[in-house]
Amino acid sequence: MSGDSRLLGFWYVLPYLIGLLVFTAIPFLGSLYLSFTDYRLMQGASFIGLENYTDILTRDRTFTRSFNVTMLYVLITVPLKLAFALFIAGVLNSKLKGIGFFRTAYYVPSILGGSIAVAVLWRYMFADTGFINMMLTSIGFEAINWFGNPGTALFTITLLRLWQFGSAMVIFLAALQSIDKSLYEAAAIDGAKPWRAFFAITLPLLTPVIFFNLIMQMVQAFQEFNGPYVITSGGPLKSTYLLPLYIYEMAFKKFDMGYASAIAWVLFAVIMVLTLIAFWSSKHWVYYAGDKRS
Amino acid sequence: MRKKSILAALSLSLATSVVATSVASAADLRMSWWGGDGRHVATQKALDYCTTKTGHKVKAEFAGFEGYLEKLTTQMAGSTEADIIQVDWPWLFQFSKEGEGFADLKQFSGDLDLSQWNDSQLAPAMIEGKLNGVPVSVTGATYYFSDEIYRKAGLELPKSWEDLAAAAKKMNPDGVYPFDSTRVILMLMIEAFAAQISGQEFVKPGTNELAWTAEDIAGALKHYQWMVDNGIVRSAKDAAAVGNVEIFDDPAWVSGRIGGTYFWDSTYSKYDDPLTVGKLVPAAPLKIEGAKSDGVYKKPSMVFAISRHSKDQKAAAQVINCLLNDKDAILILGDSRGLPASAIAKATLEEAGKLTRERLDGAKIVAEATGPVMSPLIEHPSVQEVFKDVIEQFAYGQMTAEEAGEEMIDGLTRALRRL
Repeated sequence: MSGDSRLLGFWYVLPYLIGLLVFTAIPFLGSLYLSFTDYRLMQGASFIGLENYTDILTRDRTFTRSFNVTMLYVLITVPLKLAFALFIAGVLNSKLKGIGFFRTAYYVPSILGGSIAVAVLWRYMFADTGFINMMLTSIGFEAINWFGNPGTALFTITLLRLWQFGSAMVIFLAALQSIDKSLYEAAAIDGAKPWRAFFAITLPLLTPVIFFNLIMQMVQAFQEFNGPYVITSGGPLKSTYLLPLYIYEMAFKKFDMGYASAIAWVLFAVIMVLTLIAFWSSKHWVYYAGDKRS
Repeated sequence: MRKKSILAALSLSLATSVVATSVASAADLRMSWWGGDGRHVATQKALDYCTTKTGHKVKAEFAGFEGYLEKLTTQMAGSTEADIIQVDWPWLFQFSKEGEGFADLKQFSGDLDLSQWNDSQLAPAMIEGKLNGVPVSVTGATYYFSDEIYRKAGLELPKSWEDLAAAAKKMNPDGVYPFDSTRVILMLMIEAFAAQISGQEFVKPGTNELAWTAEDIAGALKHYQWMVDNGIVRSAKDAAAVGNVEIFDDPAWVSGRIGGTYFWDSTYSKYDDPLTVGKLVPAAPLKIEGAKSDGVYKKPSMVFAISRHSKDQKAAAQVINCLLNDKDAILILGDSRGLPASAIAKATLEEAGKLTRERLDGAKIVAEATGPVMSPLIEHPSVQEVFKDVIEQFAYGQMTAEEAGEEMIDGLTRALRRL
C-alpha cells in the first residue's frame, strides 16, 4: 500500500476528528479547567483550586438535595424501564398476527419521547384538569394533584422516561430472537415450566444485553433534563430538581460557569464510578457465549 | 463570439458591483427582543417601515421572555449580540457595571432625538455618565380585576383586602377565586408587602446592604397566609397542580375562574388577551395593615440599547429613532410595549386614540402610587432564587413565617455579598 493510499483513510475520517476535537474534546477539557476557576460569564476567571468542589461537597444544600433526587430518580427509573422493556419485548417476541405493526407502534414513543412537545403534552395530561384525572374521576376515584405534591411530581417525570422504553425493548427483542429454540425444547422435554425456562435459559442468556442496557439507561437517566425543565421546573420544593437542571440554572441563570462546570464534573464522576461498579460486578452475573461458567 | 462573451461577463460584473456598492451604503443590522405574538408582529411591521425610511435592513430575532436573558448573556459573552437589543432595565447593571457594556447613546444625539425623554426618564439607564439605553416604556406593578367575574358575583371591584375576603366567601362555593398569586407574581407581591411594611427598598440606597428585617419579611408572609386561609387565592400546592405554566396560560385563568391578579402594567395584553370572558380593570394598590407606603415598584419596563460591538452604531441609532420617535412607526407599534416613554410616541398614540382606557388608568395609578426607588439588585437571579425558594418552603408549610424571615435574611445577605 502506497503512502497516499494509507493516508486516504485518514482524510475520510478527518472531518469527524475535527468535529470531535472542536465540539467534544476541547469543551470537555475546557470545562475541567473552568471547574477550578470562579469564571462567571461577562467577567474574568481566576484559578481557585478545589474551592468549587469543596463548596459543592460540604456546603451546598441545593446540591445535596438535587443529588439525592437524582439518585432516587435513577434508582427508580432504570430498573423499572429495563423490566418493562423486557416484558414488552417478551410479548412482541410471540408469533401474533400483525406483530410488525405492534413492534413499530411500541417503538414510536422512543422517537418522540425526548422532545419538548411530548413534555408539554405530558404536562397537560397530568394537570389537575388533565386527561389522567378525567379518567380517574370517571371511574370513581379522586383527582390527584400530580405536580403539587413532591412525591407524585417525581413519579410523573419517571413515567415520562419509562414511556420511552422502545430502544431498550428493540435490543431485548433482538437478543430474545437469537436464543437457540432447541434449548427451550430440551427444557420442555425435561419437564421445565415456562417460568423455570425463563430464569434458567432466557435470563442468563440475556445478561450481556441487560448489562448493555443497564449502562446506557443509567447514563441517560443521569442526564434527564427536558422532563423536569418543561413539566415542573424542578418543583415543588425541588422534588424534581435533577442535577442537569441545577447545572443549567447555575450556568445560564446565575452565569456561574466555574461552579456549574464543577457540578458537571461531579456528576461525571458519579456516573463513572457507578459504571465501573457495574463493570466490576458484571463478572459475577453476566454470561457470554463460550464463557466456561455458562 | 468569445470576445462578446467576455464583454458580456465584464459588463455583468460591473453592474453587480454597482448594485453591491449601493446596498453597502445602507447597513445590515440585527435586532433582538422578547415578547408575545402581538409585539412580534407589530415590531416586524415597524422594522419594515423603518427599512424604507432609513435604508437599513434589520434582521429580526425575537423570542418569549423565558430563556431570553440566558441567550443574550451567552451572546454578550461571545460578542455576538444583535446591533439593537431590547434589554430589561435591571440587566443593564449586570452587563454594564461601569457603563461600558453598551454603546453610549449620547454620542448619537444627532441621529437619535433624546429630547423626547426628560432627564428623570433617562437617569435609570445612565451608568457612570454613559447612556446605556433609551427607555421604551415605564412600568409599575399593580392590581387588576376582571370586571365580568365581579359583575357576575354581584360585587363591586375590591378596594381593600377585606373586600377581597368578602368576595372569596361569595365566589369560592362556585369554584372561583377572587384573586391569584403564585410563582413570580407571589414573589412580586411578597416584595411589595415587605416594602409596604418597611416603607423602604430591600437594600439601602446605592449599596448591597440589606435594609429589610426578618420581621418585615415575616409580616409579608403572614399576610400571604391570611390570603390563602381566607380563600382569596389558591394555595401554592393547588396552583402547582397545573404544572410549570404562568398564570396567563393557566386554564383556570383563561376560563374565568380567577377574578384578578397583580402584574407590571406594561404586560397588560399578556394577561388580558387570553381571557375568554370580560376584561381586566386596573385598581389602586391594596394596602396591608400598618403599611407605610403603597409599596408600588416602578421601573423602565425595558430599554433599547446598542451593542458596543455593532459595526454601524450610527445606523442602529437611526433605526431606534425611527421605532420610537417616528409617527408612522409609533402608530404601527401601538402599545405593544406598554405606554411609551417617548413624549412624541405617547402624544401620537393619545391623539390617534390608540391607548385604551385600561392602559391609561393603569399607568395613572402607577404614576400616583408611592413606593421605594427600585434597586436593580432585586431582579438579580441570585437574589430572586432566595426569594423563590424561601417563599415556596413557607407556602408548603416547611417553616413558620418567623423562620422564613430569618432564612431569607441569611440567604439575601449571602447573595448580596457575592454580587
